[in-house]
Amino acid sequence: MSGSGASGRRGSGAGRHIAMSSLIAGLLFLFTTAPAGADAYPRSIPTGSAAVELVRNFWDLVASQQGTDADRPASQAIPPAAEGTPPVDLSDLSDPVDVENRLTTALAPKDGAMRVTVPGGTARRGSFIVGSAEALEGDLLVVQGDADVYGRLNGNLVTVEGDVIVHPGALVSGDILALGGEVRDMGGEIGGEVRALRSSTVFAPAAAVAPAEAGALTVVGRRLAGVLGVFLTLAALGFGLVMFGRPNLEVVSDTVSHSFGRAFVTGLLGQILVIPTFGMLIVGLILSVAGILLLPFAVAVYGLLVVVAALGGFLAVAHAMGETYTRRRMAMGLVIGSPNSYRYLVVGLGALAVLWLAWSMFGWVPVAGTLIGVAAFLVTWLLATAGFGAALLSRAGIRENFAGRLIPPEALTDEYLWATPQFGVPAGRRPGGRTPTRGL
Amino acid sequence: MRGVALAILALVLGTGNAVAQSMRAFSTFRQLHGETRLQADLHYLAGGLRVAPGRANELYRMDASYDEERYRPTSDFNAAAGAVDLGLEPAGNGGLRVLSRRQLRQDANVAFSPAVDLDLDITLGAVDADLELGGLSLSALTIQAGASQAVVRFSQPNRSRCRSATITTGAAELTVLGLGNSRCDRIDFEGGMGKVTLDFGGTWSSSSRAEIKMAVGELTLRLPRRAGVRLTLDRFLASFDPAGLVRSGHAFQSPGYDRAERKLDIDLTTAVGGVRIEWADERGVVDALP
Repeated sequence: MSGSGASGRRGSGAGRHIAMSSLIAGLLFLFTTAPAGADAYPRSIPTGSAAVELVRNFWDLVASQQGTDADRPASQAIPPAAEGTPPVDLSDLSDPVDVENRLTTALAPKDGAMRVTVPGGTARRGSFIVGSAEALEGDLLVVQGDADVYGRLNGNLVTVEGDVIVHPGALVSGDILALGGEVRDMGGEIGGEVRALRSSTVFAPAAAVAPAEAGALTVVGRRLAGVLGVFLTLAALGFGLVMFGRPNLEVVSDTVSHSFGRAFVTGLLGQILVIPTFGMLIVGLILSVAGILLLPFAVAVYGLLVVVAALGGFLAVAHAMGETYTRRRMAMGLVIGSPNSYRYLVVGLGALAVLWLAWSMFGWVPVAGTLIGVAAFLVTWLLATAGFGAALLSRAGIRENFAGRLIPPEALTDEYLWATPQFGVPAGRRPGGRTPTRGL
Repeated sequence: MRGVALAILALVLGTGNAVAQSMRAFSTFRQLHGETRLQADLHYLAGGLRVAPGRANELYRMDASYDEERYRPTSDFNAAAGAVDLGLEPAGNGGLRVLSRRQLRQDANVAFSPAVDLDLDITLGAVDADLELGGLSLSALTIQAGASQAVVRFSQPNRSRCRSATITTGAAELTVLGLGNSRCDRIDFEGGMGKVTLDFGGTWSSSSRAEIKMAVGELTLRLPRRAGVRLTLDRFLASFDPAGLVRSGHAFQSPGYDRAERKLDIDLTTAVGGVRIEWADERGVVDALP
């Protein structure tokens, strides 16, 4: 037993040795022959067409094994369409998508039966063979089956959900189009062009062709998420602005509060003039020749300034709304926890979001939803325009001309008001060096 | 509160793939039936494109994967004129889809028979193109590239003599390699903005003339060591280092220009940017000096 076991082990070891030797020999063969094979292939073709061909042949093999005729209808002639139904002309296959659309309409079952007329040609359902001794005249349509051509076809050939196989010695005088299949040229002669759309929508269910409309709940959910996302982003940007540019934000905000009409008109003009000004800037730089080098920089800076003015202005409007609301509540005697710019922004953005949230919730309602959407858009545009104008008027919060800050800070103290005449000649000598400039 | 947050998160994640792009595979080819010449117009507006010599028994072939909502394939052969229109033309909404880079990708491989004289006209939009034209029998070449990134190669000598190669670019990054192999009598290049490399390397079998106009951008001229080169330069705000060229009257030329069997005359006009000179031998080895 032990002897036989040893010999068995020796035998298996020898077997492994032989297997290893075979493997190594095989690998050596591959390494030595592969470069020769690679060299034999023209190096000028970088498309990897050999690999593509290999993969294509592989899938052809898979398809030929998988696609059995058992899944397909038996070979039969398709009866001609009823009187008055337009025929399907297959004489021009240059636009495969158009042919597909025409066939989709023509092949739709009518009264449970498929009927189609190919002028001067043949229409078949299921796989169809043109025998080597046969000569078929006119265009040939094969639906839900392969077309095997061994003989002659004097015309065009179209398959729907099937392949075209042109065997050696076969002749197709015209064009070939495979919709939802492919054309395999096995060595036959094809007089015209060959086209293939790998997938076909001819027999696709209508629901799959036209994407299903989302339900009201989905629409509401999407809109809510969108509105929340936008306003959360605005809040984050606003907090950044408060943190790093509070004085400027407050000046723009005050400009909106104290000169709303002027800010709106300025914003409107600004919107109209944004594009022409940009054009003039570009033309000016090009004409100045040396300025051409500054073009990319100027374009980037201009775009950035417009975005900052629009966005900053909108946030300033939200700030102004929140501030007004908070101060009114405080004036009514309510205790507000922390009446600062962060709070003003949140309150203002929240107020602006209300209309959009309403649109999110009820936008799907006929008429009313549209009205809410239009109202939300108009209000937002109105306020954004005013904000943009305020940003322009105040030069991004640098100038206080229209911010309602004409009275110097010293003038607000009781001592000053008590000691300084407010009217008459002495009033001209009031302290304070922040006398604003006039005009824009 | 946590539930609301989760619901919002689910909504945001759930709506991310709401819009799907449907790609379709399209193939077309035509067998070679004794044709000796072909006029090919290739229009390709977006995606990746490869052009290369194809099989000897096929006049042309195109395998494409395209966005059916925005494009439709074109393949129309006119037997009387010996001309074919290939490519993808806009349909439906047209234009570019800006959802994600992966979804944008259309691809096409186009091949032409090396056995027929080919008059090739290529129009590119926003395309990432690799055009291997070496080994074809080009009789004329026209390339118009918009906002493309394109490499045009002549890795092998052109199999027939080429009347002209005309290349026009908008805001593109273009590299043309091995123009010496193109065997074109005349090479015209007109560039708007961008970065352009024109490599005149390869096997020069005859003299040639090139007219190059570059508006704004960086232009690299890779000149052949084996041929005599004469460069006439008209520049405005462009830097130029004549590396290896010597001034002769109003032009610059390589030291052995007058004795050279094959000559390359270049008229270069450039406005803003820089012109860089490099030298290449037949094997493509590049150096700053000749």
